[in-house]
Amino acid sequence: MEEKPFKVRTLPGPPHPVSPQTHPRSTLGPSLAILSLSPGSGQLPTITPPPSPPPQPGLRPGGGPGNPPPPQPALPFLPNSPRPLASLGVCGLQALAKSSGHRGSGKSSPHDTRNLWTTATQSQPKLNVPLPTVREDSELEGSSVGGKTRWSYNQKAGHDSDGGWEESDDGEDKDSFKPEELDEHALMELEMRRGSSLGGPLEEDDSKTDDEKSSSVSSLNISKHTPHRAYWVEQQSRLPLPLTELMENEALEILTKALRSYRSEIGRDHFLTKQLQRYIEGLKRRRNKRLQVMVI
Amino acid sequence: MKLKQGSFLWYLYLDKLYCLLSVRNVKALVEYFHLLDVHRKKTLNDVLFYHFLHHVTDLKRNQITIVFNMLDWNAVGEIGFDQFYMLVCILLAQENHLEEQFIFRHSRPVFELLDLDGELKIGPSNFHMYNFLFKIKKQQLRDLYHDFDITGDCRLNYKEFKLFTIFSMNKYQESQKAVKEEKAVPEKKCHKL
Repeated sequence: MEEKPFKVRTLPGPPHPVSPQTHPRSTLGPSLAILSLSPGSGQLPTITPPPSPPPQPGLRPGGGPGNPPPPQPALPFLPNSPRPLASLGVCGLQALAKSSGHRGSGKSSPHDTRNLWTTATQSQPKLNVPLPTVREDSELEGSSVGGKTRWSYNQKAGHDSDGGWEESDDGEDKDSFKPEELDEHALMELEMRRGSSLGGPLEEDDSKTDDEKSSSVSSLNISKHTPHRAYWVEQQSRLPLPLTELMENEALEILTKALRSYRSEIGRDHFLTKQLQRYIEGLKRRRNKRLQVMVI
Repeated sequence: MKLKQGSFLWYLYLDKLYCLLSVRNVKALVEYFHLLDVHRKKTLNDVLFYHFLHHVTDLKRNQITIVFNMLDWNAVGEIGFDQFYMLVCILLAQENHLEEQFIFRHSRPVFELLDLDGELKIGPSNFHMYNFLFKIKKQQLRDLYHDFDITGDCRLNYKEFKLFTIFSMNKYQESQKAVKEEKAVPEKKCHKL
């Protein structure tokens, strides 16, 4: 049985904003591709993410008949490394890693999807995470892996290798929506239809005004409960907050220990020590900001 | 080697067939690497690398140094993301008892990692050095050199090593089957009763 060469192949869908085709510094000629893991590989049941709104054809990002093929594992490949071993490297992901450095500026781009959010969509009573608590820095802005799938967090019971982060395809989104939400949405639609069809010719004016009122109220209700498409597109590409918090907390612990080593080995006044210190302070500020917002 | 429970890496998982991370796991790993990349060079120096490994595993200082020297194949004193990814895959393979599959699936990169001198041949000392990572047992090593050292120079070239991985994978699968059958037999007895 021959070993497959390591190749990174892209997912079908819109090109990644930092894909090699668009990245100015990329030296990679051929298009990259990443195969994602196929679902249903016998993993533990997942804890679903914060409740999502009922599916709407116009709002569900990536929904539609043209669903991507089943995902497969990422096979990394680095063609330009001096050692063939580096073929295991992830060149596409290096491009991602490179681009992620540009994303950490804290400035919001003019095409930031959050600018598209309206105040109406910001009242989301059914979401566990209010919008202001979504990461305020622009590190993940514009990042899109063409991801049409969502994260779900799977807590391990012991060291079972079946645990971990899972994805769910759009087709499985329905399972994560609460049935009450779907019914409520369906009911609203029915009400709207009834409102338009009810009423005879003599009562037309009254029924019209009543219907208009009911339709406007129901449309307001719908707009309250159905989030803006841009918001969900961005949510698809962001990491879940619990994972982000875990990463940041762990990175802080590691870097704090590293700072002690820096101070003891190269001194407090060395520019690398100061750089690390500033970085740690920045991370702490960001974490505290996020915690404060969550408390509110 | 064990991963620290509750650490970020502990939540990642390898695909059992290909022994690689999924795209989403890799995306998370990229962000994690970016968080550790303090000096914005897309690399981790030896100090950061040491503290990272020391925090997430139970490896000792000399073992971490060996791992760093193994991964720093350009000898620049820094580890890039592709080396970091390789390391995470190795750690997860060991954590999830997928060593045989990992070595089988990625025999070329593993061979090149073991071939520290770049001589395209690996001897017993190479295996001993990295035993804490790849967990090739002594008996396996003896069988390895007894059965697969075709050239007879007490060192393995890549083809010999590849043969070894194929046979050890077959052995592993047979042992898995035997374990499953043993489990199935008492269940059948229970059903009959």
